[in-house]
Amino acid sequence: MHLDSDQEKVLGGEDGEAKQFAMEIATKVGDAVGADSLVPIKSAHVLAHYSSLHDAGIDVLERFANTGGKFSVPTSVDPASIDLQNWRSFGIPEEFARQQFRLCDAYAKLGGMNCWSCVQYQVCNFPKRGETVAWAESSAVVFANSVLGVRSNKITAGLDVACAVLGLTPKFGMLEDENRVAKIAFRLGIPAMNDLDYRSVGFLIGRSSGTRIPALLDLPASITSDQIKHLGAGAAAAGPITMIHFPGITPGIGSLSDASSGERVEEVEITRAGLDEIEADLNQTSEIPDLVAFGVPHLSVNELGELARMLEGRRLASGVRMYAYTSSQAYDMAKRTGILSTIEQSGARITQSTDAEISPLKLMGIDTVMTNSAKLAEIVSSEGDIKVRYSPQREIIDEVTR
Amino acid sequence: MSVGPLKGKGLVRGRVKGEALASVKAFTFAHGVNPETGEVTDVRSDIKGSNVKGKVLFYPFGKGSTTASAWFLETVRLGNHPAGIVTEGVDLSAVIGSTMAQLIYNKSIPVVSGIPRKTYSVISPGAVVSLDGDLGEVKVGP
Repeated sequence: MHLDSDQEKVLGGEDGEAKQFAMEIATKVGDAVGADSLVPIKSAHVLAHYSSLHDAGIDVLERFANTGGKFSVPTSVDPASIDLQNWRSFGIPEEFARQQFRLCDAYAKLGGMNCWSCVQYQVCNFPKRGETVAWAESSAVVFANSVLGVRSNKITAGLDVACAVLGLTPKFGMLEDENRVAKIAFRLGIPAMNDLDYRSVGFLIGRSSGTRIPALLDLPASITSDQIKHLGAGAAAAGPITMIHFPGITPGIGSLSDASSGERVEEVEITRAGLDEIEADLNQTSEIPDLVAFGVPHLSVNELGELARMLEGRRLASGVRMYAYTSSQAYDMAKRTGILSTIEQSGARITQSTDAEISPLKLMGIDTVMTNSAKLAEIVSSEGDIKVRYSPQREIIDEVTR
Repeated sequence: MSVGPLKGKGLVRGRVKGEALASVKAFTFAHGVNPETGEVTDVRSDIKGSNVKGKVLFYPFGKGSTTASAWFLETVRLGNHPAGIVTEGVDLSAVIGSTMAQLIYNKSIPVVSGIPRKTYSVISPGAVVSLDGDLGEVKVGP
């Protein structure tokens, strides 16, 4: 990889230990993937949740923070492993919380935004079309490439902080035009779609595309940005998806031909039978859940409002917890607009700055999870010690409330 | 039996010798290896129940969460890490995890890519592998 003279100096340690450490990681990755250079980024999104980073991740983040590291670009962060405001009331052990707060402290010291969300693009990190960013969080990367017209690779833990400190990222993968071309197309042949269907469609695309960039045709014109968010998250949970071309939505892409650069590609029809298969696969039990989880990825204020309307006048069955996961910013808005109180009156709760798939669910006494999130269902089931039910939000609420 | 040397691309430098442990399916440390023991826990892995500690670990590709590098690094912190890693495609989690292992814990875990998965099936379980991350070479057998 070619470094310019400034970058060489950073690698040589002239800009301090933290930047040198960051440059060693970035150049090692660049060499491994055959990148020829490092290019500037406009923003970063990093990971700092204890359940995945463990004590080693604390060592890494504290090394950056304690050797003078500072983020060079606006940087947001994925959810923490605990509700940073109300963790005690969610049954989080003290020791676990303490380790999470060490990560929070190091992140703050590095100059990160106080915005713990996997949908940072709905909350605090707003790139404009054409920018290059370095974001961790697979679902946000899909949204960035597919909807915002922003270029990002799915940045791995460790490289994320290195890129944020350098304000640079290795040029490879989704930063190159030739790697953004659709090589397979899916046609949506289903008339009516509910919340689960959008997630299952994404999951099916993720599972069927392999390493090919997909295009999705015949989406209903009424699709919302929240529905696209969940579709993309399902896709990224099921396979190595970093972008889906949505002709008419993806900037610069009006047709399949635009997406595939005029080449003919394999076309796959998405049928009801295909979605049923995904549902059957993600549904592992019919037991009553310990936890109903909505919001992997984080719910928007609109979605919280929709949930409140569904829960109004209803009461959650005893023995079942229902948590809606969101950012602190959306939580505050929900509080101001009465959404929070409606949800709480039903016995459900909104939890902020954390998310279900990175929570210590076992430590919280949860053995069975019910959700409409394909991403959560996939992640939780891979470890084998928690059972999952996967159903539409309306059916879940009908089952666990009166 | 003896295989090699197979020529790949050295991604992280260093030389090690160790027993082979080979998966022919996509592999991840994230929720897939217990850092406290080194045991493979991923229910979808073909080497579930095996232990990566001290082994030269072969797998064709990485998969899943971008946190895999952090899970890998935690196995290093606890001393339950593989001695080296061999892949077909480039697994960034292995490259980043191993780079951080050198910088934070002063442990050398060479990584070599470009070794096709069809060669993994001829490696008998427990065979000794010499891995050279400087030259990008893998040699099986004495």
